[in-house]
Amino acid sequence: MGIRLCQEPRLENPILVASWPGIGNIGIIAVDTLRGMLGAEELGQIEPWEFFYPKMVLIRKGVLESLEFPGSRFYFKRAGGGDIVFFIGEEQPTEGARIYAEGKKAYRMADLVLDVAERFQCRRIYTSGAAVALIHHTTKPRVWAVPNSESLIPEVEGYGNTVLMSDIEGRGGHGNITGLNGLLLGVAKKRGVEAICLMGEIPVYLQGLPLSYPKASKSVLEVLSDGLKVQADLNTLDELDQKVQQRVEEFYQQIPSEIRGQLDRLKQVSYTQPTEPGPITEEEEKKILEEVESFFKKQAEGG
Amino acid sequence: MNEGYPVTVYQEPDLQQSCLVLGWREDAANLGRRITDYLNLKLKGQRFAEIEPEVFFPMGGVAIKDNVARFPESKFYVCPDHEMVVLQTDSPLAEWYKFLSSVLDVAERHCRIRELYALGAMISFSAHTSPRQLLGIANSVEMKETLSQYDLNRDVDYQTRPGERPTLNSYLLWLARERNIGAVSLWVPIPFYLAPTEDAQARKRVLSFLNERLRLRIDFCDLDQEIRRQNEQLARARSRFPQVDDYINRLESNLMLSEEENGELIKKMEDVLREGG
Repeated sequence: MGIRLCQEPRLENPILVASWPGIGNIGIIAVDTLRGMLGAEELGQIEPWEFFYPKMVLIRKGVLESLEFPGSRFYFKRAGGGDIVFFIGEEQPTEGARIYAEGKKAYRMADLVLDVAERFQCRRIYTSGAAVALIHHTTKPRVWAVPNSESLIPEVEGYGNTVLMSDIEGRGGHGNITGLNGLLLGVAKKRGVEAICLMGEIPVYLQGLPLSYPKASKSVLEVLSDGLKVQADLNTLDELDQKVQQRVEEFYQQIPSEIRGQLDRLKQVSYTQPTEPGPITEEEEKKILEEVESFFKKQAEGG
Repeated sequence: MNEGYPVTVYQEPDLQQSCLVLGWREDAANLGRRITDYLNLKLKGQRFAEIEPEVFFPMGGVAIKDNVARFPESKFYVCPDHEMVVLQTDSPLAEWYKFLSSVLDVAERHCRIRELYALGAMISFSAHTSPRQLLGIANSVEMKETLSQYDLNRDVDYQTRPGERPTLNSYLLWLARERNIGAVSLWVPIPFYLAPTEDAQARKRVLSFLNERLRLRIDFCDLDQEIRRQNEQLARARSRFPQVDDYINRLESNLMLSEEENGELIKKMEDVLREGG
């Protein structure tokens, strides 16, 4: 059990781009959009049964016709010397009631993705996910970049609209990347493969909503296409973004006005280390977060 | 137990071409447990193997049900003289593929299995006075053909609805097909207000099919008596509690009850059936 490839092309100098679903599906939307845009061909898959419960059964006229599992598929695209291998995981393999993968299965899956990366001699891996940030939904999300080696920092610093963890106030260069989008970075490091995780910012008050956040996917796509040196139509996600923003705005108007007033102040927040006092003090930030949290808690209890 | 084969075999059964009947211990009206218990009682089933639980269930303590500590079980029984194996099992909470593969491993390695029948209960919003329909879903067209002479609905169309997942029975049927084992899942609707307790009529519906199909020659007079007793209890509840009678009348007229009314009916029927009418 493990990997099943449907073809074995000779790839030149490839980079692997991987993503699984997560908060706002930011990473997976960015990666899958790019895959579709480039018309990548199917390469193979990770056999699902070790990792997933089936997602759909089809019974027709009393006969079980098919049973579908969440897909974990590889694709490839020749791009003239800088070929790309995509990996799209439809679900993270979870154990028990956890949302994100962890433990043996997650490690095993990360290992299998790396096996394919090494088989095709991928020189780098990009993963992508979400960064929950104290930003407003009308502002352009930035991309938090986490490399798995110090030698990649200068390159990452050159990406547009991108910040390192040390640029984010109060973090001191530290943090966590939950689930496989993060774990893959670690497993790549263990195997000596360079990797960078790109995380699009999502407003803290939207993280619990069952909505995708394509505005952040677009930011990730910008950085990714730059890193991969491919031309991508960055406006592809605009239509989806407009639809989602409409729903976000509807939700936003339901928030009590005193909390909304606090959140409105986030429009002025610059989240990188300020050179002079920013529009919101640290104490005010804390208060906003507490109020937002308490609002959602009450909402959840009420319904 | 070895990691790759989490099964303990106590005694090798002497089987040439057997059938496996699988019942889940915790389904509606305890259908799977009650049917497999009944088969084991009538056919003198003897335990010969079990699937070890530690990989498939959280080992963080024990659950208590009806005042008694419970522990997950997956036990195989062989019924002498009938080329039949009964599996009564809890539903695994993890490693489903490995669990179902272990079921099929036992079936193939120790039982030379020919066919598999997986039992399932469906919650129905019909009244208990409606006849219980039996639905059969096969894992191949050939297997479906062999069921043509029996009184069961063989033409079910179904697709998993958004937010839901396939049942373990569907998963098992699919895995059995991968191994060229013919398999059928048998589904019987249980009136929702009997789901927490029992439904003798539904049990008989499934058992009658198995009796005929597997030539078991079971005499059901005890089960018939149980059905009569349960029907009397339900009739008494209707005459004692006009509200219950009204709810059931409406269900008999194909009318839906509100969520609150459903809850009330379930509670009342549970009390009545547990106290013996």
